[in-house]
Amino acid sequence: MADSTPPPLHGPSSKEKKYDRQLRLWAASGQQALEDSHVLLVNSAGPGVVGVETLKNLVLPGIGHFTIVDPATVSEDDLGVNFFLDEESLGQSRAKRCYELLEELNPDVEGHYIAESIENLLEKPDFLSPYTLILLVAPIPARLIDIICRTAHQTGTPVFYIHSVGFYAHFSLLLPSAFPIVDTHPDPASTTDLRLLEPWPELSALVEEKARNLDNLSDYEHGHVPYVLLLLYYLERWKKEHNGQVPQNYKQKSEFRELVRKGARTNNPEGGEENFDEAIGAVLKSLHPSKLSSAAMEVFEAEECQNITKDSQTFWVIAAAIRKFYLDHKATPLPGAVPDMKAQSADYIKLQNVYKTRARADFHEVLQTVRTIEKNLGRTTSVDEKEVEAFCKGAAFVKLIRGRPFHIAGSKAGINWGHRAKFAYQALQDPSSLLPMYLGLLAVDTYHAESVDKPLDESSLLSYTSSLVDNLEREAAAAGSSTQDVDLTEAKTQVSQVVQELIRHDGAELHNISALAGGMIAQEVIKVITRQYIPIDNTCLFDGIGSRSSVLRL
Amino acid sequence: MGRDRFPKQSLGSLYSRIKQSRVLMVGAGGIGCELLKNLVLTGFGEVHIIDLDTIDLSNLNRQFLFRHEHIKKSKALVAKETAGRFNPNVKLEAHHANIKDAEFTVDWFKGFNLVFNALDNLDARRHVNKMCLAAEVPLIESGTTGFNGQVQVIQRGKTECYDCTPKQTPKSFPVCTIRSTPSQPIHCIVWAKSYLFTEIFGTSEDDAAEFDHSEDAENAKEIENLRQESQALKAIRDSMGSDEFPRRVFEKVFGDDIKRLRSMEDMWKSRRPPEALDYDRVSQSASGIDPSISVKDQENWNLAENFVVFSDSLRRLSARLRDTQAKVSDGDAPPILSFDKDDVDTLDFVTASANLRSFIFGIGTKSKFDIKQMAGNIIPAIATTNAMTAGLCVLQAFHVMRGDMEKARMVFLTRSTERVISGEPLHAPNPDCPVCGVAQSKLVVDPTRATLNDLVESLLRLELGYGEEFSVNNEVGILYDPDLDDNLPKKLSDLGIKGDSFLTVVDEDDDNPRVNLVLSISEQPLPEDSKPVLLPEKVEVPRKPKAVAPAVEPAPPVANGVAHAPNAADNADLKRKRNASDIGLEDEQIKKRGKVAEETSHAVEEDLVVVEDSGNGAIVIDD
Repeated sequence: MADSTPPPLHGPSSKEKKYDRQLRLWAASGQQALEDSHVLLVNSAGPGVVGVETLKNLVLPGIGHFTIVDPATVSEDDLGVNFFLDEESLGQSRAKRCYELLEELNPDVEGHYIAESIENLLEKPDFLSPYTLILLVAPIPARLIDIICRTAHQTGTPVFYIHSVGFYAHFSLLLPSAFPIVDTHPDPASTTDLRLLEPWPELSALVEEKARNLDNLSDYEHGHVPYVLLLLYYLERWKKEHNGQVPQNYKQKSEFRELVRKGARTNNPEGGEENFDEAIGAVLKSLHPSKLSSAAMEVFEAEECQNITKDSQTFWVIAAAIRKFYLDHKATPLPGAVPDMKAQSADYIKLQNVYKTRARADFHEVLQTVRTIEKNLGRTTSVDEKEVEAFCKGAAFVKLIRGRPFHIAGSKAGINWGHRAKFAYQALQDPSSLLPMYLGLLAVDTYHAESVDKPLDESSLLSYTSSLVDNLEREAAAAGSSTQDVDLTEAKTQVSQVVQELIRHDGAELHNISALAGGMIAQEVIKVITRQYIPIDNTCLFDGIGSRSSVLRL
Repeated sequence: MGRDRFPKQSLGSLYSRIKQSRVLMVGAGGIGCELLKNLVLTGFGEVHIIDLDTIDLSNLNRQFLFRHEHIKKSKALVAKETAGRFNPNVKLEAHHANIKDAEFTVDWFKGFNLVFNALDNLDARRHVNKMCLAAEVPLIESGTTGFNGQVQVIQRGKTECYDCTPKQTPKSFPVCTIRSTPSQPIHCIVWAKSYLFTEIFGTSEDDAAEFDHSEDAENAKEIENLRQESQALKAIRDSMGSDEFPRRVFEKVFGDDIKRLRSMEDMWKSRRPPEALDYDRVSQSASGIDPSISVKDQENWNLAENFVVFSDSLRRLSARLRDTQAKVSDGDAPPILSFDKDDVDTLDFVTASANLRSFIFGIGTKSKFDIKQMAGNIIPAIATTNAMTAGLCVLQAFHVMRGDMEKARMVFLTRSTERVISGEPLHAPNPDCPVCGVAQSKLVVDPTRATLNDLVESLLRLELGYGEEFSVNNEVGILYDPDLDDNLPKKLSDLGIKGDSFLTVVDEDDDNPRVNLVLSISEQPLPEDSKPVLLPEKVEVPRKPKAVAPAVEPAPPVANGVAHAPNAADNADLKRKRNASDIGLEDEQIKKRGKVAEETSHAVEEDLVVVEDSGNGAIVIDD
């Protein structure tokens, strides 16, 4: 059949077809960001499965490039845990074989490999510059982690630092010191912004047109007045009886709901009207003044937002313009989307248009401000309108993550808990916390600081963990935590169990755990590269024995 | 050293059990590919893979066992071939078949130690759930949608089964809404896909899943009109291939049918009446528009653009169907085309037809990209979620293989940035579950002599061991309970109990009652020397489950029952390396005995985050 049928003249490209299921999550812009990326995987001394599994989950959705650094040659041990190595691979470069088999997964992705140790490679000062994101897999000497993180922090390159040992997995994420996200994909239910308490003239006119004569409408029309208009109509009535005030608190909102309920016609077979039910259901969630989320507030209060310079990133230019809008109007630009509701099609379209028109106007005001800022500062390139539009739509949900260096155990600086000491100390006292696992892994890192070849030694690890605990306690006390009457016996027992578990595995990876961790890490990598959704901040721990995970800000 | 080194080191003695196990994986799609890799690398001895699907281009963004050259080949067979290369010690068996086929009997299921569901639809999930319950094989059920995923362990009598909580079924619409009075874009999409497309290119499908016939009776007259309308459309189908074909279809479905609908004035009293389209006028306005407009799948096309795509895709599909027809030899079923969201020709046709209908009824139109999702029940799917979900399946399998259901969890993956993975203890079976909450059996009855007493005394009390307190019911009401024994001497046939009807036996014992027993009656004469009622097969009627903890068999004393040495510092034994048993990877029956009590609480260990429903219903679907 295929040979006799003329091929379709057109249609989505095969790439679009291949990526169809993921484009529905991060759209073409996210896909483009993935395709522009170049991910570096640094394997040093371990089995290195977790990094390869992570890459697999990035090659499939189509990152642009990847490079594997790994000095090892393939041994029998590898075959049992690494899916991408087969009998033929024995004795060959592990970096090369993994690169070959990974690249097979997706012809759109270009892979590279370097069968050398990262230590040698870092001697070239600009070695890291081609890479847009770095995956560092433990064990790796502390001073190398230190060099990589310092370089990456200067260039704003995100770094993931990863452990996978037996049933344990961990990763920490180093982001640039300002990592703003516009497209956070908030829960659609929470994004509806109808501005019922601040109607504008066009919206009020539509209420006048469609709902003023509510009592005289036919049953059909009455049952099809969009609930947004019903609420606005009853709000006007309420205000007349309440000195122009809208319902203020739960009690008044309940009374208001009763007022709406009484308006529904019940002399029909259904005993009520769907549009009134929708109106009643929306009272509690829609009758509040538009308020900025604390996350968005953080963006507008950021130093970068208040002091725009000639060289500020476009994100901050738009943020500053929206900040001005917010100060002028006590509200963010209207997103303009209207949820589905019971209505006659024509009315619904009218309502949609009223919201859309207003959203357009808000957007143009912001755009105007952006252009003024650009002109005043003499910026040479102008911000893309589409970017401004996207920002306006999501303005109430933008998010700023302040990347912080993660702990590098065994480095000269040692572990410094800083302003997270109180938090970490508290976590240590919580028996369900996975912090003990983190301390165990830090102890292993300390042990490996200079050389990664020695087999683990229990007494050294226990002495490292106990000084980690002591240090944390000291820092927490200095920061004002009460350490008297705190019993850390259970925490210490947990830490020592972790240590024994780590010794039992002695650096061995379990394929299944590394595969799972590879999924978790790749998920966060995708969020970071696409700048969509909110990535974890900044440490994720997984315990495969209890199938538990937790995210800690450390 | 060697291939086994790492898994042996980490899994301890569980590893040898894994090597000897025989497991079944149902579905070789997104989760399936990941799962098969993990099973093979973990060293499961024998893995059977079953999937009836073939490989599509849109699978390749996550189903990594497949390559471009495998498109259109069997998923099960290719998965076996690809994965097999990576561990020659594992025996792989592939079945390119439907798990619902008769050959996969309960006995066949019994041949596995564990079954993994990696499916994409409710129907097959339910089937495997039922079979695993019947075969008493533990099942690990999983699914994903977008960033969300879920893993559930199911074991008969010990945990909830898949059907213990109601599942949303795909949405359906009354026939008249779709055919006569659409008011939303989805109504027009269903019309285009399940009515127009199938009438022209498929077999007429009155029973498409999207149609809800419960209101047909009230609208008998309109239903009859609609039937005639379909007949007339079938007649037009015969002119497929002629130059006039697109015009004839268009004038029928967007012209005459609409005019007929509009003439039914009652229908439009409270609705906006539809406006028929005029072929000549629309086609004139469309002159100069190139059919390649259909590439713009994110835009909403205008009337003329939809018209162009409609005519063009209709031509493409007609040519395709005629080509196939030409190759069919006599005696074969006539060829048909079926809608496939990934088949551009069919998607173009459905998009344009749905949008043309939306213009007629004054409904908003949708882009091809959106319609693809709505018509194809597309659920976003990515490699990362599948990788996590499959990994969690294997971790749960470890608990099941050790018989340690206390440690097994219902696990959820969410987009939360607080806790990527969260879990809760498994729930006890729902005693009211229609699937796992009852025992079922056939009951052979000799209608000439069987009395209710025969059933109550000799069968239920003597043979099955029921106590004093129970009742026998049929659809009419109670036939017997301890306070109602008048019926005992009566013949079952006199009580209205006929062949193919059902009796339910409800155990009302205060402690440890049995689950309900449903008996399906089969009437046949029995020899004089046999009892007048009998069970053709032995029946076990289990007790109603009480709590989440599994029943604990008395365990032989085990020396090493202590999980963790309390304090590392003063325990010299800790110089040894830890055994796998220390972290609970061995049987710990002694420990378990002490724990049962505390495990019966249903406390949720961590905040339960329920997987978001996808727009159209079924929560956990990956394809």
